[in-house]
Amino acid sequence: MTSSVHDVGAAASFQVGKPRRVEVQGRGFVVLNVGGAHFAARDVCPHQGARLSDGRCKGHVLAAAVGAPLAYHRGRALLQCPWHGWIFDLANGSCLTDPERARIRTYPVHVRGGRVFVDLA
Amino acid sequence: MAAAVLSAPAVAEAPSEPTALGVIDCDVHPYPNTIDTLKPFLSARWVQYIEQSGFAAPPGTRYPKGFELAARRDAWPPNGLRPGADPDFARAQLLDTWNLQYAVLVPLYGHGSVHNDDFAIALATAVNEWQTHDWLDSDPRWRGSIVVTPQLPEAAAQEIRRAAKDPRYVQVMLVVRGQAPYGKRHYHPIFEAACDAGLPVGIHFGGWGTNPITATGWPSYYLEDHTGMTQAFEAQVLSLVSEGVFEKFPDLRVALIEGGFAWLPPLMWRFDKNYKGLREEVPWLRKLPSEYILEHFRMTTQPMDEPPNPQHLLHILDMIGRDDFLMFATDYPHWDFDAPDRALPSVVRGEQRDKIMSLNAAAFYDFERA
Ligand code: FES
Repeated sequence: MTSSVHDVGAAASFQVGKPRRVEVQGRGFVVLNVGGAHFAARDVCPHQGARLSDGRCKGHVLAAAVGAPLAYHRGRALLQCPWHGWIFDLANGSCLTDPERARIRTYPVHVRGGRVFVDLA
Repeated sequence: MAAAVLSAPAVAEAPSEPTALGVIDCDVHPYPNTIDTLKPFLSARWVQYIEQSGFAAPPGTRYPKGFELAARRDAWPPNGLRPGADPDFARAQLLDTWNLQYAVLVPLYGHGSVHNDDFAIALATAVNEWQTHDWLDSDPRWRGSIVVTPQLPEAAAQEIRRAAKDPRYVQVMLVVRGQAPYGKRHYHPIFEAACDAGLPVGIHFGGWGTNPITATGWPSYYLEDHTGMTQAFEAQVLSLVSEGVFEKFPDLRVALIEGGFAWLPPLMWRFDKNYKGLREEVPWLRKLPSEYILEHFRMTTQPMDEPPNPQHLLHILDMIGRDDFLMFATDYPHWDFDAPDRALPSVVRGEQRDKIMSLNAAAFYDFERA
């Protein structure tokens, strides 16, 4: 029986805030390091199929009410698709603007001994 | 050559039913990288004018885009040029990735907003010459659109007559937000020249006029700018039909590019209804407005209208009522790019799909002129 846990590279190769594509058994995954916490998801946008690894790690823009000051919170694992700009939360795979219908599959990530492991189970 | 470093779309992940025919893309945007790109195609007078004045580009949009230069984030060539400025990269990322049969170039340059008439005319010609030499000559799958100065219709007609001699040009191009509705009589020389050349006119998303971009003034957001573009398309359809342009130029064909299409059926219903009571204003019309629309216009698909229930798209196609009416387009390299294997929902299948993805454009544009 083969393990579902895969070594996808040295931790140092995943820069904070820079999504990176890795391939495991011919399938693409995007790995994102947000402040030292790592996240992984299939590297394909459910909308029209762009590679999310070409996208941008975002902060969360919020306003408490219409006309209230705009806040920009960093720290969440938000990744914006490089094509039509849908934003996904890699912590749970949901799309910010359509959480019920647009989702990406996410996977647990562990860092051990300076290596990053993705569990594809 | 950029192909090796391309981040190709994940085409193998969940493609729709493939079309056996090569896809034809009716909307691709090449850009001069900077004004220097155009200098070889400008006279010494204008090169000197640019260098002395520091002119960099015609005025741009008032609405910052969602992404820089409105480009897909993966459309920036690794050689540092701007998106849409490298024909080799575009060939690899678009033509080769999707194995396109043809792709129609639609340069979006702001010469329509240049107040110096002679300079505007020179820029339009330079954009066409650059399109010819840098793009059309680089791959036989590219086809061109003749850009003109709509603010100077006689000069536009002259440019059409000049540029149309190259059979790789398949249409004349206008932007939808012009200075006035295009049916107005002073624009007719443009349509006359297009018909004389046997070319359709493409009317594309965007514009550079001084008019507010909605019928009720300036909105706040790019979200409104982009979504509200259909208002301008509706206005141009109303104008071209009402002013009798298709009675005066019965051979004229018009492609509405990047305007969406789901709004058309209710416009036709309303237009026909009002015409029945108001025909005395436009007695040159000999048939219902919708008949002119369905005969003379075609629409490109991008940005694809995406009803939550894809079946509703079939209803819209049914309401339009012609299966030769829609033509696929990607809008590469822009952020609202439609992927050839994913944009058109799989509920559209068989012959209807082949027509939208390929055959309708092959019938509308004369790709075999070249
Ligand atoms: S392909 Fe990702 S938002 Fe459209």
